[in-house]
Amino acid sequence: MLKKIAIEQISQLTAVLMDMGTLLAPVKEISGHNFMEIVDPKQVDLDFYNTIMSPKGAFFPHKEDFVKYKIGKPLSAAEPVLFNMKPAFLFGVRPCDVKSFEIMDIHFNDGGIIDPYWHHRRESTTIFGYAFDLDKPVEPADFYNTLGIYAADPEGSDIFMVKKEKELLLKSITHKGEKLLAHLSVLSSATSANEKYFEEYIKRGKEYKTRFTRVDPEAVALELEDVFDNTDFWKKISSACLSCGVCTFVCPTCYCFDICDDTLFGKGTRRRVWDACMFTDFTVEASGHNPRTQVYQRLRQKFCHKYSFHIRKYGVISCVGCGRCIRYCPVNIDIFTFVDIATKAKWYKRL
Amino acid sequence: MIRFKQIEERLKKEAKRLLESGAVAVVLAYEKGYDEKHPMPYAAKNVADVENIVFNEYCNYNMARYLVRYPQGTKIAIAVKAADSRAVIQLIQEEKVKREYLVLLGIPVQGMKNPKTGEVIDSKTTCGMHNPVLYDILLGDEVHGHKIVSPYDVLVQYEAMDKDARWEFWKKELDKCIRCYACRKACPMCYCDPCFIDQSKPKWADKAPQSSGNMMYHLTRFHHLAGRCIDCGECSRACPVNIPLYLFHKKVAKECEEMFNQRAGMSIEDKPVLIDFRVEDSDKILE
Repeated sequence: MLKKIAIEQISQLTAVLMDMGTLLAPVKEISGHNFMEIVDPKQVDLDFYNTIMSPKGAFFPHKEDFVKYKIGKPLSAAEPVLFNMKPAFLFGVRPCDVKSFEIMDIHFNDGGIIDPYWHHRRESTTIFGYAFDLDKPVEPADFYNTLGIYAADPEGSDIFMVKKEKELLLKSITHKGEKLLAHLSVLSSATSANEKYFEEYIKRGKEYKTRFTRVDPEAVALELEDVFDNTDFWKKISSACLSCGVCTFVCPTCYCFDICDDTLFGKGTRRRVWDACMFTDFTVEASGHNPRTQVYQRLRQKFCHKYSFHIRKYGVISCVGCGRCIRYCPVNIDIFTFVDIATKAKWYKRL
Repeated sequence: MIRFKQIEERLKKEAKRLLESGAVAVVLAYEKGYDEKHPMPYAAKNVADVENIVFNEYCNYNMARYLVRYPQGTKIAIAVKAADSRAVIQLIQEEKVKREYLVLLGIPVQGMKNPKTGEVIDSKTTCGMHNPVLYDILLGDEVHGHKIVSPYDVLVQYEAMDKDARWEFWKKELDKCIRCYACRKACPMCYCDPCFIDQSKPKWADKAPQSSGNMMYHLTRFHHLAGRCIDCGECSRACPVNIPLYLFHKKVAKECEEMFNQRAGMSIEDKPVLIDFRVEDSDKILE
């Protein structure tokens, strides 16, 4: 089903979605766009390239309170923090970011342990994917083509959106999306010309080129295993790295967290907070020993986790090529260049 | 007019000479990143590395940040712009590095650009100086004849705010913080290991990105840098959410200068202002 709405009337659509549940959409802040819970339908701004923070926070917030407790009181007196049970709409997600949810599902929603917080939010959220603007230049940092993702891939979205001049075309991809689209009377029906435009746009998306290198997951995992112990190589790669947490925090597929107790005057909260393998204290053990004290060890962990361990364990690369870690790195460390070198066989022998 | 290409050539020449003769073990400079606009900090360790060195208007990193990574006694040549040279001086004052182990390759600058925004970096976000304060070899012609703009001019608007307005301003700005700690990691003066914020006994602040912890982290960091910040502006440029950290640092630096008549990192003869007791010191802080 294909529907449409004029861009200038978008606040009517967002207002309806707000009535139906929680709406998370890009909002323009001084520093750039970010997904935020919308309180005023006019806040939504679709004139963006991509957000600073990835949309993973919609399912896996930076800070998640689990339980509130009081010191000296029995465990039964502790109160779990209830989370938002309303349906949610994640509006305006770029195709590469949509793909990241699938990778994150491996950790939070598949196999042995299911994270109820992630699981519930995933179930109750309808994803409105949004194609990149093919008439605007691609950001030099992006490389999602390398991971087999294109600028207008509808896959993974419930509803996929494409901008056509002053109109927004919305197409249902899943059953969930179709049900919602049929329900949204604020949208008007699309013409067959619109239909054609939409299909062609998806095709044109394949021609919209980001940086690309042919990556065979098996091969790159093998290369990285071979070079793992080459300390000189890693020291060279990481000589500029400041070991801050920007790359992991903006990354759509980094999922490490810490469980913290925040206690003040006998009252406390147990919560989950994002953590980053780039932090020195990330690996400090209870004994005080820290197996990763040096920057090169931490950067190696990060790169190898995404392009080696993750492949060995789950069969897929844990990266979608959104370019955020490169764009926001204070010293411009480029994971793509690294992957590009790594895929060209036996490179480490030349060092 | 800064001739970037010429500086790059001289930088390569000096780096090659120093590494070849064994005068230094490392040359801290810049290399090409994924494109022209995004160079990277670089540590050249042998002659073959030298060809990777670049210098252009986007090379704004403060290489003094990397000095403390090397064991004491390592002979290092370092490319320094104005603020970077002040960082080196401050580090010498604080006895983190020794003058005799360093070769300073001075680079006069004007019109450096922020690769993220494209805007020219001037006295608004940095000390606004053009020429390195201290150097052994100067790689370009000194820049003179430009109007000197005080690095504190940018504070006019901020200082017009009253106490409550300033609190509101910082609360709003610091609420944006995602606690990635890029600011402290980009800062040449933030070399504490561990940083107070990473300690768990005692735990000084909450790890979550919320007002209380953010305030605790930033306000403490601001004050740890009192009289030490050399105003390179790297913290603000490193910040992914554009918090104007430079404003607070400038404000504290200005007060320090007014009280103690000393600017951070201007002379290796100076003592760090907050550990130097002088009878004639201002009592303003106690009033």
